Amino acid sequence: MRAIDHHAWTNRWRGWHPAEKLLPAGSLLILTLMLPPLTTAPLVLAGMALATVRGAGVPLKALLSVLAAPAAFLLAGIPFLAVSVDFAEGVNLHLSAEGLRLALTTTVRALAAMSCLAFLILTTPLTDWIAPLRRIGVPAGVIELILLIYRLIFVFFERALTGHQAQTARLGYSRVDRSVRSLGLLAGNLFQRALEQARRLEIGLMARGYAGELRVLSPQWALSWPRLAMGLGLVGLIGAASDLLGRGLS
Amino acid sequence: MTTPLPLLAARGLEYVYPGGVVALRGLDLNIERGQKLAILGPNGSGKTTLLLHLNGTCQPTRGEIRLDGQPARYDHRALNHWRRRVGLVLQEPDDQLFAATVGQDVSFGPLNLGLSAAETAERVREALESLRISHLADRATHTLSFGQKKRVAIAGVLAMRPEILVLDEPTAGLDSHGVNHLLGALQQLHEAGTTLVFSTHDVELAYAWADEVALFHEGTVLCQGETAAVLGDREALHRARLRPPLLLEVMEALGVGQDRSQPAPRSREAVLALLRERLGEPVSAMPVGTVFTHLRRGPSG
Repeated sequence: MRAIDHHAWTNRWRGWHPAEKLLPAGSLLILTLMLPPLTTAPLVLAGMALATVRGAGVPLKALLSVLAAPAAFLLAGIPFLAVSVDFAEGVNLHLSAEGLRLALTTTVRALAAMSCLAFLILTTPLTDWIAPLRRIGVPAGVIELILLIYRLIFVFFERALTGHQAQTARLGYSRVDRSVRSLGLLAGNLFQRALEQARRLEIGLMARGYAGELRVLSPQWALSWPRLAMGLGLVGLIGAASDLLGRGLS
Repeated sequence: MTTPLPLLAARGLEYVYPGGVVALRGLDLNIERGQKLAILGPNGSGKTTLLLHLNGTCQPTRGEIRLDGQPARYDHRALNHWRRRVGLVLQEPDDQLFAATVGQDVSFGPLNLGLSAAETAERVREALESLRISHLADRATHTLSFGQKKRVAIAGVLAMRPEILVLDEPTAGLDSHGVNHLLGALQQLHEAGTTLVFSTHDVELAYAWADEVALFHEGTVLCQGETAAVLGDREALHRARLRPPLLLEVMEALGVGQDRSQPAPRSREAVLALLRERLGEPVSAMPVGTVFTHLRRGPSG
């Protein structure tokens, strides 16, 4: 999670208007879901991987590690889709062509869709989505909650990490039963600290005139039409190529 | 001659925490316009509780806070007005920073003052500049170092342009470079007319930097006065469980600053220069042990 956040803040396309990234990636996601997957999905996957790694300069390793978890789930699912069980005469396992095709299309389609999402989360920090969310009318309370959670996750992550290190240093995780106990103590301690932190944060905010609303300046982006046009052009290209490939294959 | 009314003052301030722990035991404090006041005392003596009274966060159990000589009120409007004038910076920056980026966090206070987006952006720029952290404006808050977070927390309060800036242990946790950087920025604010109040347990810092010192011990102010006078009062320091500043002790050992006509120098450089003059050779080139032997024997020749 920290790696994702790091790349989101430091990649080359960080300063772009979120729409310039959301519109092309969102359109590709829709294409992936609508067009025949065998021709579309590989193109989308390649396009998004290129955009993430070559374009935004996110290391390939980071992209792969984001895709690794869903990929593992997909691979685990392949046997269940490809193999059918027949109970007619005893137990028979069939490897049907239909099943294989289904497994393959589902897997590539899901991976391609994931690559669109991976592109978005690796190139755009969560906070850049706040202004768009506000514009489409998400209530202020929800947005404040998102912002506070995002900020405090890192504060508590740090506390949890140092607490864990301190416990490890005193052999708190040397045996299974001790590990369970130590983890329980750590969780209890973090909970208590969270409450204290909330109280002190309120003092700090009140000192700056907090009156129930967390308002801050929204970042200003200039929407670049050429970049947006290029992104959507890529989407058109992938759509057309997939259509051509589909005709060629059939 | 009439003395001007203190900008902010505490009279007979007492505070008992819910649960019965007595934090403040009837203390008096005066903050004059344009001064640098150090509230000096050991850890755990109640300094933070006192600072929380200075912007109305805590309401005293007995006694009162006076703003421009008027007893402070604690209704919503009065508190807003009060906090506009008195900015408070907490010791732990993570207790104060809540927004995702530095620029956004600093914009919080000015927006609460009701300023427009353009004015707010200007205030943010100015506050970051005065703490020399303009380059951090678009950084994510959670990627900053402790010292950087500390400066951002101060900038967030500064952007509201308070008359009085109250800082809780501003140098705690900073390395010497961070301390110098911070004090440089605070000195500029002071020269621009901001009244500074800071709590510290660091006698050397108070000696080097404050105009006035309030000696704080177990919930009371033992004495308040000019820095040299308060820190020269060994008996009071002893009662507050503090040691006199090293520079002052060195000067006493050299017999400097005993009479009023020739006050003891307060900066490290000035003391070193004096030592050099007395010893007749470059002090910085000498091992520390030699310096002390020289001091014990007294200036030779």
